[in-house]
Amino acid sequence: MKKVLGLPIILLLFITILTACNADKENESANGEETVEIDFFHRWPNEPRKSFYDEKIKQFMDENPNVKINVDSVLNDSYKEKIKVLVSSDKLPDIFTAWSDSFAENLVSSEKIMSLNEVISSDADWSSKIIDSQYGGFTFDEETYGIPFTVDGKAFFYNKAIFEENNIAVPSTYDEFIEALDRLQEAGYKEPLVEGLTNTWAISHYLGSIFDRVVDPSVLEKDYNQNTSEFTDAGYVTGLEIFQELTSYMGDVSTAIDHEAARNMFGNGEVPVLYMQFAEIKMVEDIGDVEIGFFNFPEVSNGKGNQTSLTGAPEGWMLSKTAPKEAIEFLKFLTSEETAFEFTKTDGQLNAIKGAVTSENVNANSLEAYDLIMEASSTAPWFDNAVNINIADIFMRGGQELATGQTTPEDILKAVQQEAEKLKK
Amino acid sequence: MIFRKKHVIPTLFILPSILLLGIFIYFPLVQNFYNSFFDFSVFSPTKEYVGFAAFEYLLQDKVIVIAFLNNIKYAVISMVFQVAFALILATILEDKLFRKVAPALRIIYFIPVMISISVIALLFGFIYNPQMGLLNSFLELIGLENLAIPWLGNATASIYAVIAMSQWQSIGFITMLFIVAIQKIPKDLYEAADIDGAGKVRKFLSITVPQVKETMFVNTLITITGAMLVFNEPYILTNGGPGFSSMTLSVHMYQQGFVKDNMGYASAVATLIFALTAIFALIQIKVSGTGKDE
Repeated sequence: MKKVLGLPIILLLFITILTACNADKENESANGEETVEIDFFHRWPNEPRKSFYDEKIKQFMDENPNVKINVDSVLNDSYKEKIKVLVSSDKLPDIFTAWSDSFAENLVSSEKIMSLNEVISSDADWSSKIIDSQYGGFTFDEETYGIPFTVDGKAFFYNKAIFEENNIAVPSTYDEFIEALDRLQEAGYKEPLVEGLTNTWAISHYLGSIFDRVVDPSVLEKDYNQNTSEFTDAGYVTGLEIFQELTSYMGDVSTAIDHEAARNMFGNGEVPVLYMQFAEIKMVEDIGDVEIGFFNFPEVSNGKGNQTSLTGAPEGWMLSKTAPKEAIEFLKFLTSEETAFEFTKTDGQLNAIKGAVTSENVNANSLEAYDLIMEASSTAPWFDNAVNINIADIFMRGGQELATGQTTPEDILKAVQQEAEKLKK
Repeated sequence: MIFRKKHVIPTLFILPSILLLGIFIYFPLVQNFYNSFFDFSVFSPTKEYVGFAAFEYLLQDKVIVIAFLNNIKYAVISMVFQVAFALILATILEDKLFRKVAPALRIIYFIPVMISISVIALLFGFIYNPQMGLLNSFLELIGLENLAIPWLGNATASIYAVIAMSQWQSIGFITMLFIVAIQKIPKDLYEAADIDGAGKVRKFLSITVPQVKETMFVNTLITITGAMLVFNEPYILTNGGPGFSSMTLSVHMYQQGFVKDNMGYASAVATLIFALTAIFALIQIKVSGTGKDE
């Protein structure tokens, strides 16, 4: 008897499930058109950017009723890890954010990223609005794989009031900078320069800028290439010594805090100088009423490198090879002048679209930073994006060890040289 | 027919478990071992066979030594606090003197077990904060400001700060296991000891300890294997830093795989962790001789 009843029940369940699936499909194509789903992955689950993108997604879907956008977002480090997993599992989103240089290059090496040469050349009205100089970090072997969107630069932010009170001039050379830090210490700021050294990327930003000042550009070019790298130039030891000297002004608090904590200290007026990205201007302004000024990493006398370059690189959007044409339309929508203008107005982050950063949507500080980025003689990429991650990691963890007195510049370089040899095989 | 049924039905019952174990435990284990013979990145479409190269590098990797020693420190300290101290704590809580407050204390000790490790790590991040953290403020309050250091930023102290947090979180769980074991001890053993005039220490050593031997073995196993696999605590609190000072084997494996993209080498580290954990477990089973005298 039980068997007789069981079979119809199973059949009924089966039919119900099938009907439910079918009903779903009917809903999707209610307007007569096939619905196209786009997977969109970005790295801003925090405000104000999350809401900005949510709003833009809604706007695009309203304008294109046949498009459904599935959005996912996780923060910085998690993003780096998750995108790797997605690439390896063949589940790369249709459109996603990417850093430039080695991060983009790694993604491109998966052979799953769409080349955008044709997209760029076929719509000059849109592509000519993107600042040409920002494409470099996404272009490999003359193929462009990403559209730059945000632009950034790194500079020492200083507290104008503290500098004025103590009669300290804005330094233009490294020696003057050290003198200024000494004078700040004399004025009672025990740790005039703090950094969140638990974030190893913060160390990489320092080292990238320092190496750019002290090492010959041709040597850097050779060493930043995994196939030719040696890291035997004496400039690297000098560079690490400079970093070590700077950490002596950071006190032992720096190895125990992150960059956000350091930024809060600067924003609250506790720390007079901090090495920060222009993207952080609005965040600092939101913390307190510190009057900020900024200066580029100062010139290093006897340095063989570029003395006026600015460290910083754009971030942008990439598409997977299998992305539908609607994803390209969404990319154009995200990088249109109108969206870019609104984006900078909401978020404060500067962008790579011509005419989208003006005095109407940013304050004087951001405008000054934007001019600095646009006028920079050259740019030095973020160090952890410029070299192989194994090399970067030795330098970054070595930087932590320098700050805690566990190692020497020579030992770090020895480990780097060994790793460089290994990577060439 | 009866003979067949006797064998088939129990087999059918355990078949799903065997299947799931096979898919989710043993297959990945074999696959991981297989992967350790290749050099590959998650980005690369192909894998390059390199034989034992990853294992050769394992022997030269200085970080492995630091990480292994940190895991050992973790294991030793956890044994002291989570096995020895937890047993003493459980005995005290089960003592007549504490009968009234014991339920409240049990809840207090058990609460950390129920809180997510990420939340606890964040909480301890505040406690260890060098400027406004509770720990340094407390040390200054009692006149020990000389001992106030940036706990997570100090190369010597960071691993101990991480271990301390784990003890705080896990001791409640182990204590509860001991409490259950102690409650199962026949009361007449203690009554006989009372008649003989045995003191509390004597009763603890001669009755409680031998009677909870099996639980002690289970707790030791949990603690040692847990110490060999520890990941969340150092990853969230210090990410193995500063430098490599609080690195553990699991964090190193994770860094190699998901940060540095050396998937083959990460598989070799994972194989090493598996081998070490298995060896420690086997030694424990052998030394404790559990089950034999029951």
